[in-house]
Amino acid sequence: MPTGVIHDLGYQRYTGDRYGRAAIIRTLAGYSLRSAFGLGRGARAKIVPVAVFAIMSLPAVINAYVVARGGPRAFPYDTYSYPVRVVLMTIFLAAQAPELVSRDLRHRVLPLYFARPLRPADYPLAKLAALIAACLIVLDVPLLLLYVGTIVGVHGGAAVWAQTTALLPGLALGLLWSVVLATIALAIASCSGRRVFAAGGVAGFFFLTWVLSEVLGTVATSPGTAVVASTAARVAGLVSPFTLLDGVRQWLGGTSPGVVPDPGRLWGAGYALLLLALVTGSVTVLVSRYRKAGAS
Amino acid sequence: MTSIELRGVSRWYGNVVAVNDVTMTIGPGVTGLLGPNGAGKSTLLHLMAGFGEPSRGELTVGGAPAWRRPDVYTILGLVTEGESAYAFLTGAQFVLASARLHRLPDPEAAARRAIGLVDMVGPMNRRISTYSKGMRQRIRVAAALVHEPEVLLLDEPFNGMDPRQRLHMMDLLGRLGTAGRTIVFSSHILEEVAEVSGTIQVMVAGRLAASGDFRAIRRLMTSRPHVFVVRSGDDRRLGAALIGRPAVRGVELTPDGLRVQASDYGAFSTDIARLARAEGIRLRELLPADESLDSVFAYLVA
Amino acid sequence: MNFDPTIASITVRAALGRRRALLYAIPPLILIGVSAVLRLTSPADPSWPARILGDFGFSVVLPLTALIIGTSVLGAEVDDGSVIHLLATPVPRRVIITTKVAVATVATIVFAAVPELIAGLIAAGPRLALGLFIGAVAAAIVYNALFVWLSTATSRALIAGLGYVVIWEGVLANLVGGARILSVSHYGLAVASSVAPGHALRPGVGLVTACVLSAVIIAVTLAVAVRQLGSFSLRGETA
Repeated sequence: MPTGVIHDLGYQRYTGDRYGRAAIIRTLAGYSLRSAFGLGRGARAKIVPVAVFAIMSLPAVINAYVVARGGPRAFPYDTYSYPVRVVLMTIFLAAQAPELVSRDLRHRVLPLYFARPLRPADYPLAKLAALIAACLIVLDVPLLLLYVGTIVGVHGGAAVWAQTTALLPGLALGLLWSVVLATIALAIASCSGRRVFAAGGVAGFFFLTWVLSEVLGTVATSPGTAVVASTAARVAGLVSPFTLLDGVRQWLGGTSPGVVPDPGRLWGAGYALLLLALVTGSVTVLVSRYRKAGAS
Repeated sequence: MTSIELRGVSRWYGNVVAVNDVTMTIGPGVTGLLGPNGAGKSTLLHLMAGFGEPSRGELTVGGAPAWRRPDVYTILGLVTEGESAYAFLTGAQFVLASARLHRLPDPEAAARRAIGLVDMVGPMNRRISTYSKGMRQRIRVAAALVHEPEVLLLDEPFNGMDPRQRLHMMDLLGRLGTAGRTIVFSSHILEEVAEVSGTIQVMVAGRLAASGDFRAIRRLMTSRPHVFVVRSGDDRRLGAALIGRPAVRGVELTPDGLRVQASDYGAFSTDIARLARAEGIRLRELLPADESLDSVFAYLVA
Repeated sequence: MNFDPTIASITVRAALGRRRALLYAIPPLILIGVSAVLRLTSPADPSWPARILGDFGFSVVLPLTALIIGTSVLGAEVDDGSVIHLLATPVPRRVIITTKVAVATVATIVFAAVPELIAGLIAAGPRLALGLFIGAVAAAIVYNALFVWLSTATSRALIAGLGYVVIWEGVLANLVGGARILSVSHYGLAVASSVAPGHALRPGVGLVTACVLSAVIIAVTLAVAVRQLGSFSLRGETA
């Protein structure tokens, strides 16, 4: 009668400390932030993020040169690189938001994530935090470069303080941009596991709404007259997140001229509310997407 | 009767050599391509199917290369690894589309026949997205068989099949092979290959390690002694002790160390450890001298 | 024959299945809707038809729709490996490419050129609408040939195509006059303005140049795509 025996290989259960949910979320966010810049993947994955960051920083570099020659700061903080910023952020988000979410959906690895002490909402929120951080780096680090490049050329504490007070709203605006754009982009990208469609959806949404609002804004004013904050122009600003952001900037007190005319107090509040609705709506879509997907 | 000929075929991607100098001829009947994961079986099958160009060497199917020659698919069918299929089509539509793409004179009849061969007549009008993994495999085999190819290449075809489906597929492949078709399938599971194919080709790390009849190779493994090179603190004394053991067939003292021929690998390894300890000799190195044989051995017989 | 109905029907179902067709319908509906609203509210700027039909419809809706459709007709299948089912057949690679480009072009016409026609009829007159429609059809063919080729050349075809549409056509062509020679939307505008002259469409190239360059681009991209598809390699286990 054949016998069998199971050998004691000395396996032991791990009884020590285990990392908890917070550590998982932190790790997931950190890993997602790195993949938002293509780190840890091949060289081709880095092309778009690095190029976007480089072009975004270009005015800061030019400014450093101008200041070194004795000129004043060449670019504003709060409308820095506007409107090129629109194109750059669209491309950045269209390329990188799918990197964060579509790959996991496509290869159906979500059950692997959720087989850990991770609540269903943790995964999308961690990814969102990472994408917001990535956008923040792309938007605010060039501002810091601009700041540093300028203060080496100015003298006196008052001048430095003046630069600092001008910088801070710019940084805050960068944060606002990051939160709004990253949330919307991630919500759209999470709707498809195919990179083509996720990227197409993000690019399509941002680009189409931007051009539409620009077109509506231009036709709202007779050619040759100054851009006036008419109702039509204000409605035009509702169409695109970028114009909404610019309108809110002016509502909050920003004085540099932007692409939309100053919406004024009432409409400005309306813009801000719409932005809030967009963000909460996107977060809801994102979280509910993963509540279901986690089960599959 | 179509045969596949490979002569010195190598394929590399940058620094990775996936297939290393493989020469073989595959004739009618069922041939199993056996090897651990990463051995290059898939790459080899893709090369045979015309979906890759050999970096070196010649590869012909029925006398002409398969690369960049869509006509080869009139006599060749390929079932890739994985589950790719058009999930929005029903099984019947999928096989019918394949029949039409192969320009068959009566696509509906050919599709029906192929579906019957793989025993998928029941679920054939359901969407492929509702199929289980094994069902998907079978419908893909049907799509590859619809034009009755003389050569059929299958990459890990038994993945995801339950035992009953596996038996059925093995039976099908066996019948096709007996009828004179050239069937090549890859697997890393010894039993699958042993049951269906007469001839096997064993691949390890991109090289062809053994070919021929499975049982003959196995016999070669056990009848041929293994050669080990041992370096120790006192080779002469160790050699004298070893020659007295029944597991050892021969001992040779060389400047590089002791060359030991062992007939029983298992017994030898316990013997040498015990002997070294008893004699107080420190063992420095114990290497198999016959790398290729050892690798095949460990894989086929252990 | 350069067209295979089986491939065409599979491509149509794969590209336009389920909700996707609805999503493609959103931009053209916006185009038509906004044109109607503008027509009713008579905005201050009298050149508004050119703005909405040209800057929005022709320069954005058309290329983006062509981009997404054009990169997905072949790109999605190559991505998940199901293209093997087309390639492991004796169908000439040329037929596969031309069939897919044809399907993509027809879909682009349905979802971008026809809405452009409708919006044009609402916003302006039949002449301009017809001109823009024919120009859009011409541009759709060139765009889709270009994007299908991109799908065979790189796995990041959509981003590359997006860069072309947004950066090259959107930004550079407006700044650098020479860039317009390689801008497909300007070829379309050239065709459109030859049908409907005098409507301030401002194409950057002449009609003859546009037609010649379009033909060259179509021929070259299709030929290269066919060659690429014929050399399709499957990655082994070490992907």
